[in-house]
Amino acid sequence: MKRIIYKVSLLILLFSISSCKKWLTLQPQDGIIRNEFWKTKEDVQAAVIGCYSSLLGAPTGIKDRALVDYLFMWGELRADMVSPGPGMSVDEQNIMIVNILSSNPITSWKSLYRTINYCNTVIDFAPDVKKVDNTFTQASLDAYMAEALALRSLMYFYVVRTWGDAPLKLKSTSTDQEIQNLGITEKATILNQIVADLLKAESLAAVTYGNKQYDTGRITKYTIETMLADVYLWMEKYNDCILMCDKVIDSKKFSLVPGAIMYNNVFFTGNSTEGIFEFQFDAQKLNPFYAMFAPVSRRLNASPNVLEAIYTQDFVNDLNVDRRGLHAAVRPGDNMIYKYMGVDYNTSRTPDISYAHWFAYRYPDVLLMKAEACAQVGRGQDALDLVKVVRDRAGALIATERKPDVADKDGIADYILEERAREFSFEGKRWYDILRNAKRDNYRRLDLILGMVSEAVPSDLQQSAIVKYRDKNSHYLPIFDDEISADQTLKQNPFYK
Amino acid sequence: MNKIFTRISTLLLTLLLMWSTGYGQTITTVRGKVTDSKDKQTIIGASVVEVDKDRRTVNGVSTDIDGNYVLRISNPNNKIMVSFIGYNTQREISINGRTIINIQLVPSTNNLDDVTVVARRKTNNGTGMNVDDRDRTTAVATIDAKVLEEMQAGSIDQALQGRLSGVDIAATSGDPGAGMSIKIRGTSSLNGATEPLIVVDGMPYETSVPEGFNFATADDQGYAQLLNIAPSDIKDISVLKDAAATALWGSRGSNGVLIINTKRGSIGKPQISYTFKGSLSQQPSAIPMLTGDQYSMLIPEEFMNRNGVPLNTQTVKEFQYDPQDLYWYKNYSNNTDWISAVSRTGNLQDHNISISGGGEKARYFASLGYFGQQGTTIGTDLSRITTRINLDYNVSNRLRFRTDIAYTHVLNNQLYSNVRDVAYSKMPNMGIMEYNDYGLLTPNYFSPASNIQGYFYFDDKNAIKGTYNPVAMAMAATNRSLGDRIIPHFNLQYDIVKDLLMATTDVVFDINTQKTSTFLPQIATGRPFTEITVNRATDLDYDVFNVGTKTNLLFTPHLNDKHKLQALMSFQTADNRYVNQNVMNANTASSLFQDPSIPGRTQNDQIKLGSVQTQYRTVAGLVNANYGFLDRYFISGSLRLDGNSRFGENNRFGLFPSLSTRYRISGERFMQRFKFIDDLSFRFSYAQSGNAPKKDYTFYNTYGNFDWSYMGISGVYTQNMELTNLKWETVHGVNYGLSFALFNSRVVGDAEIYRNRTKDLFLPGLRLATYTGFDAVDMNIGTMDNQGWEFNINTQVVKSKKWRVDFSFNIAQNQNMIREISPLYPTENKAKINENGKFKQFLQVNNPFGSFYGFKFQGVYKDREETVATDKNGAPILNPNGDKVYMRFNYPATDYIFQPGDAKYEDINHDGTIDYKDIVYLGNSNPKFTGGFGPSITFNGNIKLSAFFSYRTGYQLINGTKMNTTNMYGYGNQSTAVLRRWRNEGDVTDVPRALYGSGYNWLGSSRYVEDGSYLKWRTVTLRYDFDKQFLKRVKLNALSIYGTGENLITFTKYLGQDPEVGTKITDAFSIAIDNSMTPPPKVITIGISTRF
Repeated sequence: MKRIIYKVSLLILLFSISSCKKWLTLQPQDGIIRNEFWKTKEDVQAAVIGCYSSLLGAPTGIKDRALVDYLFMWGELRADMVSPGPGMSVDEQNIMIVNILSSNPITSWKSLYRTINYCNTVIDFAPDVKKVDNTFTQASLDAYMAEALALRSLMYFYVVRTWGDAPLKLKSTSTDQEIQNLGITEKATILNQIVADLLKAESLAAVTYGNKQYDTGRITKYTIETMLADVYLWMEKYNDCILMCDKVIDSKKFSLVPGAIMYNNVFFTGNSTEGIFEFQFDAQKLNPFYAMFAPVSRRLNASPNVLEAIYTQDFVNDLNVDRRGLHAAVRPGDNMIYKYMGVDYNTSRTPDISYAHWFAYRYPDVLLMKAEACAQVGRGQDALDLVKVVRDRAGALIATERKPDVADKDGIADYILEERAREFSFEGKRWYDILRNAKRDNYRRLDLILGMVSEAVPSDLQQSAIVKYRDKNSHYLPIFDDEISADQTLKQNPFYK
Repeated sequence: MNKIFTRISTLLLTLLLMWSTGYGQTITTVRGKVTDSKDKQTIIGASVVEVDKDRRTVNGVSTDIDGNYVLRISNPNNKIMVSFIGYNTQREISINGRTIINIQLVPSTNNLDDVTVVARRKTNNGTGMNVDDRDRTTAVATIDAKVLEEMQAGSIDQALQGRLSGVDIAATSGDPGAGMSIKIRGTSSLNGATEPLIVVDGMPYETSVPEGFNFATADDQGYAQLLNIAPSDIKDISVLKDAAATALWGSRGSNGVLIINTKRGSIGKPQISYTFKGSLSQQPSAIPMLTGDQYSMLIPEEFMNRNGVPLNTQTVKEFQYDPQDLYWYKNYSNNTDWISAVSRTGNLQDHNISISGGGEKARYFASLGYFGQQGTTIGTDLSRITTRINLDYNVSNRLRFRTDIAYTHVLNNQLYSNVRDVAYSKMPNMGIMEYNDYGLLTPNYFSPASNIQGYFYFDDKNAIKGTYNPVAMAMAATNRSLGDRIIPHFNLQYDIVKDLLMATTDVVFDINTQKTSTFLPQIATGRPFTEITVNRATDLDYDVFNVGTKTNLLFTPHLNDKHKLQALMSFQTADNRYVNQNVMNANTASSLFQDPSIPGRTQNDQIKLGSVQTQYRTVAGLVNANYGFLDRYFISGSLRLDGNSRFGENNRFGLFPSLSTRYRISGERFMQRFKFIDDLSFRFSYAQSGNAPKKDYTFYNTYGNFDWSYMGISGVYTQNMELTNLKWETVHGVNYGLSFALFNSRVVGDAEIYRNRTKDLFLPGLRLATYTGFDAVDMNIGTMDNQGWEFNINTQVVKSKKWRVDFSFNIAQNQNMIREISPLYPTENKAKINENGKFKQFLQVNNPFGSFYGFKFQGVYKDREETVATDKNGAPILNPNGDKVYMRFNYPATDYIFQPGDAKYEDINHDGTIDYKDIVYLGNSNPKFTGGFGPSITFNGNIKLSAFFSYRTGYQLINGTKMNTTNMYGYGNQSTAVLRRWRNEGDVTDVPRALYGSGYNWLGSSRYVEDGSYLKWRTVTLRYDFDKQFLKRVKLNALSIYGTGENLITFTKYLGQDPEVGTKITDAFSIAIDNSMTPPPKVITIGISTRF
């Protein structure tokens, strides 16, 4: 009797130990693990689309603002076209009045690097899929790689324009063994990396995905060329910039939408013939703009200056309007930023249809970038012609017309800068446009930034803002404190030390 | 799962085989008469059974109307046994070839009422070994549930507050169904899992819900009903405190173990007990807030102070007060007390009826309870039904079964959103009900879509933000949880070799389901119908299915008197599955359509379907032995192998040893002359135990779907990084203990000194440079100590025939400090000292947690002259032009010039600017001593008065409530303290001027730091047991009534609501901030308990 029990228990024990290991191996049932992903071309596509999805918002479980919220603030708060709304936070206000501290969470770059990591994941793992999936062609792999490279470059371009020197991470983070301190990379090195990646992507990219929505929502060869033009312009390589702009123009894929239908077509519906790259918000994923611009306690208003000085009004004939201004960029009366909030002239969006796209690049950008480059290489007339095309389409008012001499580089550049303010109002480009012009030829035009202070900063703080802006390093945001404490090798921008 | 069944069935089969071996013997007949030994009356219906040598029943009959019986005996060597309710059982009468056996039974009535326990109290660490209390080698505290039964408490943890040294229990909120946090000896982990393991009747009891359960508005409060054992079912509770004691429970026990034993039946006729408790509770008057009139004076002034622009009351009509504009005038000219509008008197009733009894073979305990509570906030209530059946069946002397089944049903109405917080800040000039355009009162709640205070919204993570009408929210919105939990527990004990080797097997199933439905009607928030916050309905279901098994082999050899030895081998498994599903939709056509099954809008990234499925498993093997020599030297050792599915393959198993000893010096010959010493022992223990992370599957790199598609295509992203480096967090516990019993055990006590050193400290969410794509990672980051001491004494001060006075006292201290830390761990907290309301903290290795730093508050600048910066000698600082320099804030980065009426902070370094160089040490939130004491006085054996006090001394608290109610920074209502604010040049006061959204008047400073020491009279109870004569007249066995008062008085210098603030240690920067707006309710309870 006893022996039986001993034997039985011994058996149970042996059986248990041998199967323990197996018993303890559990896999998640509501997600997929890496070893089982990256098996088919559909997996690659899903991962590439994931990179785009991250442009619309932070994934569930991550506490962060949407990327476009940051893009708007980085591109507009320090410039002269927005004014504080009643719901503006102290952090936002501080950026606006040039009281920027490294403790300000708006200086966090995590939303950009999150997308960069998703792109890196594709770049690291997609090539191996070809070995397992025979139906995965080299051409489609190339196209996916081009998208990931280009999107990563776009993110780095925001990084380098906003922070200057920054960490450069080109490998994905997929295990905790890969955590290491990166330190800071010079902005020139980052820019070179961006150019190299974009050129590689240009050679691999698809020309079209079959319909206009996909071509605007995803990155095509032309998107990459537009980005390259922008990067070259920033790097003051004007001939390269013109070359890229011409590639896009000569493709004949894009055209300006006529002024009469422009607002509805370009901004309300989206994916118009002038759209080059737009972040595709839709009914399922709304943009964060309603809360930012619409309710009583909105965070941001248009500055009164926008209608008064940038677009100007024709007080004789009130039907004569710049189509980009009144009831398009700004709603008069309450100065609501209307670009993302309107359905048409009179009707504004309700929160459930707040899905205006984010316009990363539109065709006028190509034209005006080319104009800006032309002006710098002595092709003043070409530049003025291009500006005229953009102005004529929108019916720009006579009051905003300038007649600089074809040889007056600065005069033309200023004119283009003004036109860009009208064309790309509230598209997150204003600060970068000013900075690009100001820093040209070793900060020859620092006055552009200093001049803007009188519009953007309350009078009692203007002097201190001007003093700060005289230091070139202050044009870049500080590295957020959390980053520095997590990686001690990151060197803070000397202005904020 | 399969394996468990295989194991059980193998065992059952084995038993069946043994059963059948008893048959096939010769048959004889025995007859006789059963009578009462006293009055010689025959006994009808007594059971007469034939038992074999193991006392297994072979055959049995009952006596007839004349007390006669006839029993056919299958084996003449067997014995017979006679039993009847109310009589002592006649055991094992040898037959010896007799055919007539007359039996006399002795009545046992006396025994039923006065059970005298002669055996020494034993401590069962839950694993199966029973060790004499006086021989145990570890730190354990036990409390008899009787002590707690007079308090109004839905759950036993509430009643335990302050009773045991080193056990810290705090409520998360005062609403019905709110959870408690239990901490034993501080926190040895930053894992987030700081709750102790709860073991009920020898098996672990799940009290946590897996991660991922954070849907809609469900938050911590949703888990409250997890420990839903009716307090009256509990027999005793032991707390295993030192690592050596908890080591037997392995990884889940590293935060301490709470052992709960429920009542079981005992031999005797059925006893029915009934207990009733009823109580009334009231929120004491809270912080006095401004009335509507005072508030509407404050806000325009506050707004104008900002930059001199007056508040435009033409557009901000909330402050217009124009009787011509009837709608705005009527709705915004009230003096509403929002707090009393959402408060009421709470009540509670708790009924419990139980029956217990049994005979030689079977014993039972069954109970049925109803608990109903109405909270002190409107819209909150809880009702619960609990049932329990504990059955014991002795098949034979060697084989015993136990079957326990517990079932609980809970219905809990909670708040959709924490209305009390909103009620405090809600503008008091607003009305509760809406007036229409003609100035007539309507029956609708006044819920404007938005006003100057803002509007209601969900942030992008679905948390409630903004403001709303709190009465409308409490009354119109629903958040109802319905829970069912059933726990069947089967236990089998078999003596393989009698009195030497015993095997037990336990299987416990735990089936726990909960459904929470919420609905947010339009009227609760007033938002327009186009928004997805309107008529938002959610359903959340979760199902937990746990299976735990434990197989023990207990070896108890009887050596000679000098040696005591017990050894245990145990094999334990647990399998825990969790599934949850949730549905949300919005914009149903009417506020009466409250179920998400009704079509509404579903397409949005906030509104969605979701589900979570997780599973984890653990296995453990344990070897444990206790050895005692000469009643003086005791040693116990164990070795535990833990396996956990939450680790990757390399680190899946951990081996954790423990060793504990006890030396009873009082047993030595040279101590014999100290006659007053009954026991004096030293104890020492050392143990390791492993702690596993809280999350499942972290060692995989998982890919998940975005909640939204991009142009109709689904996108996938990498959700985490693979945690290949993650390993067991190991707690190395050392405990030195001293136990004593003096003067015939009239003075009994323990003292303990301990240190729990956590190596490979596991930190979830270690801040990571975000260029990795992630902002946090879970990592083993360093070493943390959790150390302290405890002292505990119980005395019988007076013991005479009439009087008995007992007094108990406990005191403890606990500290956490970091010994070693990864360089990735931040050295200071995130708070920015140049922002309002923030305190600075620094991580200093080898120093206790909890110190905080800030500015020194010196009052308010009364005029312009006072804001002039001065140097060390008090002379004004001049600039190069010879002009006076005024005090600035954070020059040059912020460069704000202090104005008259601003808060004045001490310029420590006299540089004319207040910045981080001026912060000083302000306090420490580590209490020096914590504990409790209380007398208990018994008169005549049946009138008992007992009281209990708890205290905490020597620490500072940050009065967050004061900060929030006096900052005059936003549009929220403020306390009446702001009535003495600075207004005009020359005013001397301690409250700065009102300044909307700007200035630096409420920086983290000494203004908000207060001494938090307190002494709290927690309970007092008067109990009366009716005497025997009275009981005989009313035919009852026992009857007592009692009355209890709780939270009567708090003695403290602290000016806030309640100095008892729990510090939840989640990182090295955890400090105590009191944000409570309401002190704990005062409660009066009356109760009856009876037995018949």
